[in-house]
Amino acid sequence: MKITGTGFRIFTICNIVFLGLLSLLSLYPYLNTVAVAFNDGQDSMLGGITFFPRKPTFGNFATLLSDDTIIRALLISIAKVVVGTSIAMTVQFAAGFALTKKRLIGRNVLLLYFIVPMFFNGGLIPVYLLYSKLGLLNNFLVYVLPGAFAFFNVIIIRTYLYTIPVSLEESAKIDGASELTVMWRIILPLSRPIIATIALWTAVTHWNDWTTTLNFITKPSLHTLQFKLMLMIKENDMIASLVQEAAQRGEANRAGMIRVTPEAIRAAQVIVTTVPIILVYPFLQKHFINGVLIGSVKE
Amino acid sequence: MPSNNMKGVHNVSMASDGKGSSLSSVKSGSWRWQQMKKDKYLYILLAPAILFVFVFVYMPLPGIMVAFKDYDVFKGFWGSDWVGLEHIREVFELPMIGDAVVQTLLISTLTLLVCFPAPILLALLLNELRLKLFKRVAQTLLYLPHFLSWISVIGIAYAFYSIYGPLNDIRLWLFGADTERVMFLANQNFFIPNVLLLSLWKETGWSTVIFLASIAAVDPQLYEAAYIDGAGRFKQTIHITLPSILPTVMIMLIFQLGNLFQSNFELIYGLQNPFVNTEVISTVIYKQGIQQGAYALSTALGFIQGLIAFILTVAANFLSKKLTSSGIW
Repeated sequence: MKITGTGFRIFTICNIVFLGLLSLLSLYPYLNTVAVAFNDGQDSMLGGITFFPRKPTFGNFATLLSDDTIIRALLISIAKVVVGTSIAMTVQFAAGFALTKKRLIGRNVLLLYFIVPMFFNGGLIPVYLLYSKLGLLNNFLVYVLPGAFAFFNVIIIRTYLYTIPVSLEESAKIDGASELTVMWRIILPLSRPIIATIALWTAVTHWNDWTTTLNFITKPSLHTLQFKLMLMIKENDMIASLVQEAAQRGEANRAGMIRVTPEAIRAAQVIVTTVPIILVYPFLQKHFINGVLIGSVKE
Repeated sequence: MPSNNMKGVHNVSMASDGKGSSLSSVKSGSWRWQQMKKDKYLYILLAPAILFVFVFVYMPLPGIMVAFKDYDVFKGFWGSDWVGLEHIREVFELPMIGDAVVQTLLISTLTLLVCFPAPILLALLLNELRLKLFKRVAQTLLYLPHFLSWISVIGIAYAFYSIYGPLNDIRLWLFGADTERVMFLANQNFFIPNVLLLSLWKETGWSTVIFLASIAAVDPQLYEAAYIDGAGRFKQTIHITLPSILPTVMIMLIFQLGNLFQSNFELIYGLQNPFVNTEVISTVIYKQGIQQGAYALSTALGFIQGLIAFILTVAANFLSKKLTSSGIW
């Protein structure tokens, strides 16, 4: 459609300028944090760090990563993502596949059984008490088991599976394939896009989660990277000891000048915590939008 | 004891009833059984899901009873003595509860007023972009913050708002070099503006996705007809786009209204520090329940919160169906 008129042209220009500024504002705080993380801590205290580090250094990261507990937290986070996502995908794909079969006896009862929890839940404390009884407190399993089933994901998988032509499955069955063979050899390879979408989705949720640690973990050896960041933001003890250690080491090297500051360490931790997300972001964006759109289609 | 006997009798009669009535339909019964046996792999595939939902969703439900019992760790949920509404009363006697409820409602209402319309407006503006590449770059940048965790967002805010950060630099540049640098995150007065700004920054861009999809689904013929009738872009937006996306807007609004009594725990808890001590219901539940071990009290509080959220969702859905004939069920 052709659109003309001076009014509209002025609007278009203003719109482009406005959205351009807004997009910049969306990115800029992160860029600034990157600059602070790579800048000399003492130098940052003079202000004026905008896009680039003024006195570039890896010192903040070196200090941060010299702490063994940070490395351990990184490993725990990775294990949480890998194990948690694998379990969730297995459980959800199997359920989604089975629920596509209209002939399945008890299908409606099962759907109701899965839907009801979307409206009711026990609340934090009943869940806490149950976990304590099941021995899940201070147990790595609390990271990977409770989130393994989300009915919303199952609905999305099922909606996608409905788009695969039934004839494919039927011809395989004529050739003597069993239900499981059909799922494994035909449906699963064809479902790669939706599996990628939901796996990324689940992985991001697992990576970003820190309240599970807050609620159910007290053992420092099970802390995740996100939780470490929370501790650095909320509790100054940890960061202070890191800075002190760095100062002691720095004394030998640089005649008593403390170069790292709590602010710089914190910025470095933000970067370490967010870098995996930034790296997979190009894939995330596409897959997340697909997921949201499939999910919003009413059955 | 008598109730157990009653149950037994009831079961027996049920069983005999079942036998009696199934005599005529024995064929369909065996057909069902055959079918289920044939589909046993499907049930095996469903078994883990059924188990996970049972353990992690249904099993905590009896725990709500703790709200009405004198909970004793050694006696368990079932063995502890009933105390009626004792804990519900205690909730209302908590010294910080009035304040927490007020803060929860205040923050939720302001978030709804500010953060709900923002993505709709942004979606409308993005929809007007004709430069494909610019649009894609803008969307990519606007969606990014959504994928960071709340605690990372707070970490970024600590750098951005810091005494030596860009925000203070800009203030000095605007108001002169002798302006005092402000610690925005360590000041009670800035707490609510910070909550709103961070929520806007993280979620506005991403929330446009659903509205953009809804706008894209509008029939182009409607716009053409309006164009022929002399409506400009602005009038087309008011009279065609907005009414067309209203069902989507209402559904999103219902979800939001259901959340009015909840708050974003990760954001509020993350922003609390020695200088900022605003409490909302969810932080009170965490602090009373997990930190202090007052299980019964916080279960009662969580129960009240869940109940109100449920009532709000039902009421919002009812209203939306009355007014716009679109709802979530």
